[in-house]
Amino acid sequence: MKKRWQKVILVVLLFFWAGGTYYGYQQTTGSRDKLQKVTIGYQKGDPVDVSRSRGVLVKKMKELGYRVVFKEFADGASEMQALAAGSINYARTGDTPPVTAAASGTDIAYIAAGASRSSGSGILVQKDSDIDSVKALQGKKVAYTQSTSSQFLLLQALSKAGMSASDIEWVNMKQADAAIAFSKGDVDAWVTWDPYTAQGQVTQQAKLLTNGDGLSQNRDFILSTQQYAKKHEAVNEYLVKYLSEDMTWANEHPKALTKLLTKALGMKQTIVAKMVDRRDWTLTPMTKAIAKEEQTIADVFYENDLIKQRINVSDDVIYVSE
Amino acid sequence: MATDDLIQLTDVTKSYQQHTVLHDVNLTIKTGEFVAFVGESGGGKSTLLRLIAGLEPATTGQLMMDGRTINGLNTVARVMFQDDRLLPWMTVLENLSFKSRDMNEKVRAQELLDLVQLHDFANYYPNQLSGGQKQRVALARALMASPKLLLLDEPLGALDALTRSRMQELIADIVDQENLTTILITHDVREAAKMADRIVAIKHGTTGLTVPGHRHQTDEMAMIAVANEVQEFILSD
Amino acid sequence: MKKSNKQDKRQAENLLPWLIPIALIIVWQVAVDAKWIDATYVPSPLAVLEQGVTLWQAGTLQQNMGISLYRATMGLLIGGAVGFVLGVANGLSRISHALFNSTIQMVRNIPHLALIPLIIIWFGIGEPAKVTLVAIGVMFPIYINTLHGIQSIDPKLIEMGQSYRLTKWQMFTKVIFPGAMPTILMGLRYALGVMWTTLIVSETISASSGIGYMETNAQQFLDMPTIFLAIIIYAILGKVSDWIAALLESILLDWQASKGGR
Repeated sequence: MKKRWQKVILVVLLFFWAGGTYYGYQQTTGSRDKLQKVTIGYQKGDPVDVSRSRGVLVKKMKELGYRVVFKEFADGASEMQALAAGSINYARTGDTPPVTAAASGTDIAYIAAGASRSSGSGILVQKDSDIDSVKALQGKKVAYTQSTSSQFLLLQALSKAGMSASDIEWVNMKQADAAIAFSKGDVDAWVTWDPYTAQGQVTQQAKLLTNGDGLSQNRDFILSTQQYAKKHEAVNEYLVKYLSEDMTWANEHPKALTKLLTKALGMKQTIVAKMVDRRDWTLTPMTKAIAKEEQTIADVFYENDLIKQRINVSDDVIYVSE
Repeated sequence: MATDDLIQLTDVTKSYQQHTVLHDVNLTIKTGEFVAFVGESGGGKSTLLRLIAGLEPATTGQLMMDGRTINGLNTVARVMFQDDRLLPWMTVLENLSFKSRDMNEKVRAQELLDLVQLHDFANYYPNQLSGGQKQRVALARALMASPKLLLLDEPLGALDALTRSRMQELIADIVDQENLTTILITHDVREAAKMADRIVAIKHGTTGLTVPGHRHQTDEMAMIAVANEVQEFILSD
Repeated sequence: MKKSNKQDKRQAENLLPWLIPIALIIVWQVAVDAKWIDATYVPSPLAVLEQGVTLWQAGTLQQNMGISLYRATMGLLIGGAVGFVLGVANGLSRISHALFNSTIQMVRNIPHLALIPLIIIWFGIGEPAKVTLVAIGVMFPIYINTLHGIQSIDPKLIEMGQSYRLTKWQMFTKVIFPGAMPTILMGLRYALGVMWTTLIVSETISASSGIGYMETNAQQFLDMPTIFLAIIIYAILGKVSDWIAALLESILLDWQASKGGR
C-alpha cells in the first residue's frame, strides 16, 4: 500500500518535472526570437475560422517569427470597432462594414477579397409564410444587422423590386438575436448570411425568398488599418498568401472542411455541408474590379442617406503582390 | 571407462603458485551415484568440487565427464554453495527463473518450489527468509536446469541441527526423485554416512579412504560404525 | 490504548521536521511586522509570497523556473549518462579502468566552477554553456558511485552467475547493475544537489533568464522580495529533487528494507 503511494507520488513528480522541462525548453527557444504578435478578428465559419481550425497558417507564421492570435466576433461592425481601437490588427468581414466604418472616419485598408458569397446570403421567410416575393415584404418586419452586408442586400433587393427603403419595417438586431426573433415569428423575414442562412433553412425549413445573386456579391474582405498595413507589408503578404493557400485547400477538400467546420462551429453537419456546398472560398489580393463593387455599395448607402459622407474606396485599397 | 561411469578423474593435480592443494586424484563416479567428500577444512575437498564444476582448471591430469574432457564450465553440473548466493534484489521466483522470461521456466520454478516446500514464498525476497529456507531456494535453483550432476558444497554447514536434519531428508528425497548423480561435500562424517552411497575421505590433498555409505539403509549402528571409521582416518596422522 | 499512543507519537515525529522552518517563518514575519528588522533589507514572508504571485501573473516566474529546470535536467541527463557509461566501462573492464580512471580522478579534483571562464569562452553564454557546466558537475558523483558500486559487488554472486551460465548481458542486467544500484542511487542523490548549486552559479554569472538570473537582476535594483523568492525557490526545487531521489531509492531498493513480512 505504501509502495503504491510512493510510486504514484514519484510518477506525478516526474511528470511535472518533465512538463516543466519541456516548457522551459520552449521558453529558451522562444526567448531567442521573440515572436511578433499578429491579432486577427474573425467570425464563425469564415475563411479565417477555417485557417484557424486547420492550423497551418499559425505554424507557417510562427516559422516566420509571428505569433498569430485569433479573436472571434459576432459581426463585422464590432470587428471594425476593435480594428479602430487597435485591439486587432486584421479583420475578416463582409462587404458593408468597411464602407460604413470608412464613412465614419475609421482608418481602413483593404488587403484581400474573397469570391462572391451571393448564394449563401439572402432573405429568409418562415416555411409556412405567404410571402412569396420581395414585393410581398411591403410593410413587413425584416430583421437585419446595421452596417453589415445584410443591410446592403436588403436595400438592393428592395430597389430591384422597385420599392423604396421605407416600404418595409427595418428591425436592426444582432444575428444571434435575429435568429431567435425569426424562429419565434417576431419578425416576418430575416436578411442574413451563411452559416445562419443554412441553419435557418435546415433547422426551420425556412424558405429563401431570394439569395444574393444579382443583388450583392457579399464578398469576404481582409481588412486592416492604413496605419498598420503600411508598416507591416510583409505581414500583409504572408497573411494573404497563407490564407489563400488555405482557401485553395478548402475548395479542394469539401469533406475535410465540413468536418473541420462542424467541429469549429458546433453546428449540425447537414447545416455545415449545405454552406460548404454553395460556397467558393477563393481569396485573392484586391483588384480594381472588386474595389469598384465596393464603391457601388458606398454610393448606394450615401444615396440612401445611410452614410453621411461620400467615400472613395480606391483610396483605401492596398494591392498586395501575389 | 564403463558406460555407466559419469565422471572420471585421472591423476588430477591442482596447485596455486608453489602450493599444491590436490595431487594425483584418481576417482570414478557412476551415474546415479551419491558420493560424499569428507575431510578437514583446507584438505582440498572444495577445490576438487570446483574442478569438477569447471569453475577452475586443473593444473595437470584429466577430468572426464560423460566421456568428454571438462574444459571451462561444466555445463551439465549445477553447484549449490555453502552460502545461498541468492540475488537479494530478486524474489524467490525470480531467483529461480532469472535466466529467461519463458513462461515454462516460471512453471518449472513453481514446481520446484513445491518440491522444496516453499510454495507460498514465491514472491518473498531472500532476506525475508530463514537460513534453511534460503538454502532450499538455492537447491531449487540448482535443479532448475535439470542438471546431470548436482554438486553440493557444504550446503548445510551454516544451519542449526534441526533444520539441518530436515534438509538432509529433503535433499535425499529429491535426489532419489530426480535420480541425480550427486557429490556432497561435508565435514560431518555422520551426514556423509547417512546420505551417500560412497564416502571418499580426502586428506593431504588426495583421496585416502573410500568406504561404502549407508544411503537407503536403516541400520543406525552400522552407519555410526562407518562414520567412526572415516572420522578416525581423518584425524589420524 | 497503547497502540494509539504509539500512533500519535509517530504522527508527531512526522511533523517534527517542519517545526523549525515553520517557526522560522513565523518569527520572521513577526520580526518584520514589528519593525525589529528593516523591511528594505529583509522583506516579510508575505511580501515574498506576494512578489511570487505578481511575477507568476506576469509570466516571468514560471518562465524562469521552466528554463532553469530545462537546463538542470539537460545537464543531469547528459552528465549522468556520461558518468554512468564511464563508470560501467571502468567497472567492468580492467583495460578501460587503467586507461581512463586516473585521468578522470585528476579532472574530478578541479572545482568545476573554476571552469566557468573556460566554458564561457568556448561555449559563449548560451544554453550549451550552462548545460555543459551542470553536466560536468553531475558527471563525477555518478561516475564514482557507479564505479564503486560495480567494484564492490560480491564476487561470490558473480561466480554463481558464471556457474549458472548467465550470458554477459544477463550478468550485467541481473547481477551487476542491480547490485550496484544502491550505490548508484546514492550518487544520483548527491548529483542532484550538485546540479542545483552548479546551475545557480552559472545562471548568476552569465544568463538572461532562469532563477539565478532573476536573482542577480533583482540584486541590481535592490529588489529584496525577488531575491528571497529566488532563494526559496531553489530551496524548494532542491527539496523536491531530493524527495524524488529518496522515492526512487525506496521503490527500487525495496528488497533491502523488506525484512519481515511483505
